[in-house]
Amino acid sequence: MDRAAFLARVEEYHRAGWRLALINVTTVLSTEADMPGVFEIAWAFARGGGFETIREQIEPGATVPSISEFFGAAFLYENEIRELFGINVTGIGVDLKGQLYKTATRVPFSHAAVKARLEATRAAAVKHS
Amino acid sequence: MANPFRLPMVPRALRNLVSRPATRRYPTEVRPHFAGTRGAIEFDVDSCVFCMLCARRCPAVAITCSREDRFWAIDQLTCIACGVCVEVCNKNSLSMSVASRRVHTRTEVSPDGRRPGREEWSKPVPAAPTAPVVATPGGRAAEAG
Amino acid sequence: MKRTIIPFGPQHPVLPEPIVLDLILMDEKVMDAIPTIGYIHRGLEMMVERVEYTEMGFVVERICGICSFMHGMGYCVSLESIMNVEVPERARWLRLIWAEISRIQSHLLWLGLGADAFGFENLFMHCWRMREQILDIFEKTTGGRIIHSVNRIGGVKRDISDSELAAILAQLQELGAAFGETARVFETDPSIRHRLSGVGVLTTEDARAVDAVGPMARASGIAIDTRLSGAHLYDRVDFEPMVESAGDCLARVLVRLREVDQSIDIIRQAIERMPKGDGQAIETRVRGVPDGEVFTRLEQPRGEVIYYVKANGTRFLERFRARTPTFANIPAMIKLVKGSQLADVPNIILTIDPCISCTER
Repeated sequence: MDRAAFLARVEEYHRAGWRLALINVTTVLSTEADMPGVFEIAWAFARGGGFETIREQIEPGATVPSISEFFGAAFLYENEIRELFGINVTGIGVDLKGQLYKTATRVPFSHAAVKARLEATRAAAVKHS
Repeated sequence: MANPFRLPMVPRALRNLVSRPATRRYPTEVRPHFAGTRGAIEFDVDSCVFCMLCARRCPAVAITCSREDRFWAIDQLTCIACGVCVEVCNKNSLSMSVASRRVHTRTEVSPDGRRPGREEWSKPVPAAPTAPVVATPGGRAAEAG
Repeated sequence: MKRTIIPFGPQHPVLPEPIVLDLILMDEKVMDAIPTIGYIHRGLEMMVERVEYTEMGFVVERICGICSFMHGMGYCVSLESIMNVEVPERARWLRLIWAEISRIQSHLLWLGLGADAFGFENLFMHCWRMREQILDIFEKTTGGRIIHSVNRIGGVKRDISDSELAAILAQLQELGAAFGETARVFETDPSIRHRLSGVGVLTTEDARAVDAVGPMARASGIAIDTRLSGAHLYDRVDFEPMVESAGDCLARVLVRLREVDQSIDIIRQAIERMPKGDGQAIETRVRGVPDGEVFTRLEQPRGEVIYYVKANGTRFLERFRARTPTFANIPAMIKLVKGSQLADVPNIILTIDPCISCTER
């Protein structure tokens, strides 16, 4: 992703008085067997009745810049996506160092974990009851 | 120290002294349920045809049903009383009572392997009919075939 | 000057749900607060992999007991957007009425907890006694006091007859009159004013900087309310967001007090404006599988909630995300706690109306 262009757009939203509403990540598995898939990240901004998103698709392992310099409240979302999805977010304002959630499996939404769970539950659903 | 005659809660507090308590003396007084309260699931095994739709749609996977074995079971303590099984059953075998589920004091599995709150039904296959009795022209019954 | 670290939580009499804030204190003043959440994280967003989209609504409404109705409504509305389902008008009005009743119930719960937090137990019991009447209304109309299970994709499962609606309105207006006395206690009692006035001030600029939502922002002078967008039939009722400018704990209490009366008024308008007559359709039959994505925004009692649903043409959704208002208000909470006295910390944390079950799903 183009970091400079992305940060410029975020700065524009900040200057126009928009509020950060949500940073959401979806783990998209690839249809081919060997490819790991991508993460779809959506940064959502709201102002009054308006609601707009910036969407990026990133590969697992890529780094994403933090937007904490413009939106101080972003640290909570960014810590969460780092812990649950394993996305490397650099420069978070308040870094909780992996202590935010205490999940039994680390990075439960990584591609490998999602794929493994899907295969297990499909097998179980076939022999339901 | 604030002037007690200007405290707005004082009239309420004085009224509370002389009025009935708002709480009920449970278990002597039990709160009655309303007509549509969602409670325990009741099952009528005679009308069930074991189509397994309720087991497939249950969000909590509380129902176990087997067409081959003609067996139906529900884990009442796993059931979340959503009512989906009652909605989808085509034969009206399932209904929801207003009474809450029975309270269980043990959580361990009983010696025969049943979990608390589990209710099971089986509908045996009806026996094959015996050969019919046929009357002979002489007026005496004799078995056919 | 002595530096100590005190963990606030996870169990604390003031907290309805567990959360940990490690408070770094210099004598009695809080210098910093480090949050740790995860005590109530159940991984409910992961359930989309296991539960089909038709039954996921039941999982979603169990994210939280206080905000339960709006979670179920938000999920169903999102799926209806994706699948282009036309919901009957009476069902949409019923959802609005139930949502506003849910808001009254949540605010009464919070007012009681707030009173308990600064030691006014009589007022706490009084608020919760009034809340019992609301829960009885829920049980009569939906079958359950806390978890309602009436929302389905395509409408609602149960209807409320016109006569019953009139009875409910009469009961709510009586409750509103009785609540007036309690509201006066909150507004005028000198001990409450002493504890809450000037405590935990969030200025308007700070509220904008931390992106606060809901009553937290409205008490600091920002007039945001997701219901103003007019979606879900809110454009057919007249209301104004309740705004206070002081930004302290007392202002947040006052905003929620006024919203109780406002909700009763919205319900009265809804009952007048909805299509009359029994036996109308309340659910559209839905077939097929969803494919697409949507963002849905609703106004929960605690603020703006955003639901993101992504479906890929199978019976299992690909992603479900509920960004609840408490999640958005945690940075505001941390900002408020810094610089306050230790004895004020429970009050401040309670005034953001923390619903940690919603935050952690």
